[in-house]
Amino acid sequence: MSQMRTQRAGDIVAGIFFSLLGVFVVWAAFGIKGAPDMRMHPRTLPLILGWAVGIAGGILAFHAWRYRGPARIVPWPDRVGTLRVGVTLAALVVFLFLVEPLGMPLGSGLLVGFLVWYLGRYRPIFAGLLGLATGGVIYAVFIQLLQLSFPIGPLGR
Amino acid sequence: MFFSWDYLFQGFATALSWQNLFWALVGSLLGTLVGVLPGIGPTSGIAILLPVTTFLPPTPAIIMMAAIYYGAMYGGSTTAIVVNIPGESASVPTALDGYELAKQGRAGPALGISAISSFVAGTLSLVGLTFFAPVLASVALAFGPPEYFALMFMGLSLVISLSQRALLKGLIATAIGLLASTIGQDPLTGDVRLTFGSEELIAGVSFISVIIGLFAIGEVMVNVERAVTHIYEHKKLEWIPRWADIKQCWGTMLRSSVIGFFLGLLPGCAPSVTVFVAYDVEKRISKHPERFGKGAMEGVAAPEGANNATVSGCFVPLFAFGLPTGPAMAVLLGGLMMYGLQPGPMLFKENPQFVWAVIASMYIGNVILLVLNLPLVGMWARIALIPFPILGPLIVVFSIIGAYSVRYLVFDIWVALIFGVVGYLMRKLGFPMAPMVLATVLAQMLESSFQQSLLISHGSFLIFFNRPIAAVFMALAFLSIGRGIWLEFRDRGLEVAEEEKD
Repeated sequence: MSQMRTQRAGDIVAGIFFSLLGVFVVWAAFGIKGAPDMRMHPRTLPLILGWAVGIAGGILAFHAWRYRGPARIVPWPDRVGTLRVGVTLAALVVFLFLVEPLGMPLGSGLLVGFLVWYLGRYRPIFAGLLGLATGGVIYAVFIQLLQLSFPIGPLGR
Repeated sequence: MFFSWDYLFQGFATALSWQNLFWALVGSLLGTLVGVLPGIGPTSGIAILLPVTTFLPPTPAIIMMAAIYYGAMYGGSTTAIVVNIPGESASVPTALDGYELAKQGRAGPALGISAISSFVAGTLSLVGLTFFAPVLASVALAFGPPEYFALMFMGLSLVISLSQRALLKGLIATAIGLLASTIGQDPLTGDVRLTFGSEELIAGVSFISVIIGLFAIGEVMVNVERAVTHIYEHKKLEWIPRWADIKQCWGTMLRSSVIGFFLGLLPGCAPSVTVFVAYDVEKRISKHPERFGKGAMEGVAAPEGANNATVSGCFVPLFAFGLPTGPAMAVLLGGLMMYGLQPGPMLFKENPQFVWAVIASMYIGNVILLVLNLPLVGMWARIALIPFPILGPLIVVFSIIGAYSVRYLVFDIWVALIFGVVGYLMRKLGFPMAPMVLATVLAQMLESSFQQSLLISHGSFLIFFNRPIAAVFMALAFLSIGRGIWLEFRDRGLEVAEEEKD
């Protein structure tokens, strides 16, 4: 298992990923339509970049595969750490799906409340109050004062 | 546009009137506050506050707008240093070293140096603006698309070689950054690229979202994983810079003033480019380049100084030709026109009192900002004392607002989130982030100047080499690439970006 956590393994995986990404970009770039009489076709740059990413990725993987020096361990998270990152990301994704119906103040308030409770193990009442304060500040400063067109949600008229 | 002492003294007399002083102070204060808010950079800061100035006569109104701009620049670096949210691309290099310093308990000194460097460079470049504007303006006019392309190409190759031992990873990061910006419409032809039929992708990827994701959200994820209790390792905090810090950065401040000012003269040369150039120059001439990215005071002084010097430089083409060199200047131009003032050579002939009053007020604005910001340093640095489980979620919400308020698209928050994950993985695997950021910022300008050059030359690449200014930039770019490749082959090993090493 420890072999999977080295820089070498990481570079091989990343290199292979980038070569595949390069191939994909090159394939996708051929689908770009544009006027043929231009000096530079719209697909030229993506095409060059696709090649660059693909080849550089390949070299990276090859270099790492041939590397025989002392192993450098990448500090990947343990199970607890992975769970914390995963839950935080999941909370963000849920937020993104709900932000338009709920509105920015309410959505941000809920997000802050949940994350403060989850990450810090604070009492729910404290986390809730912080969330409420966040939502209130966003409503007052960004929506009322600066008049930015944020989604207001049920708070709106 | 001619310089005369009489005009300058008259300008100071006007700018020092209690009314103009008052509005300069209000502008600096508002600008700083707005600059600290996420997602509201100098441009949107001026745009939002433009209506506030309408009840004023033209001179105090423009003085106030210039002060807002300066203030927002100051404020923007604060979030970059304290919580690693560079609100705009120009603050990215500041975050590289500033946040590292903050983690070592030196947020106060970093903020102080940032304010001092901004003041020194801002004032020096104003002297340049005052005395040399007419000559310099004509040089800037010699810049066509090939020169721009060569300049940006040089900027990119400098930043790739900044990653030193991780050249390949720097190259990949750059290419991915450029690729992300090619999504959407071709800058010249408007053809749709790499959107895979998605309507949201046609609008393209906003580089602000990329920056916020890579830096702020990526960093929060690293801290979430480690369950840190405070974002800074050191509990003991320093509040003000030591005399040694200032002495150490003195040369840096002078050099970045010059770099920032001269590059700022070029139309289209925004602070986002000059700060990287200034940072790179300092890293190269430093006796301890390895400290850069790990908390070098010069790494804060250089971009902050260059940033403010560029701003003064930008005023030269704006006043002399009516040419806005960036979005913020365009908004200011709008403000000028709102008052019936048409910038250009005639402005200096017809309204000398106005022009010189504004220039004089900039000197005063710089002093106001220094006096205003140094005492605030302690307050900002105290943010560090908030436990991370509370601060982290707040940083996330600030990032979301920052990404969202650029175009009011939820899609932009998705982009920030995706690049947050990318930034997290890049930190783990030792990929440098600066090249990716600069590539995303420059991509559109890079491609359109390249296409325009080829239109001019009827498709010949020689245009980049047979025009003297462009040729110098290209030569420097190839030199720096060559040096990077040489270093890469000299010591083979696993690639880890210097700036991310533990």
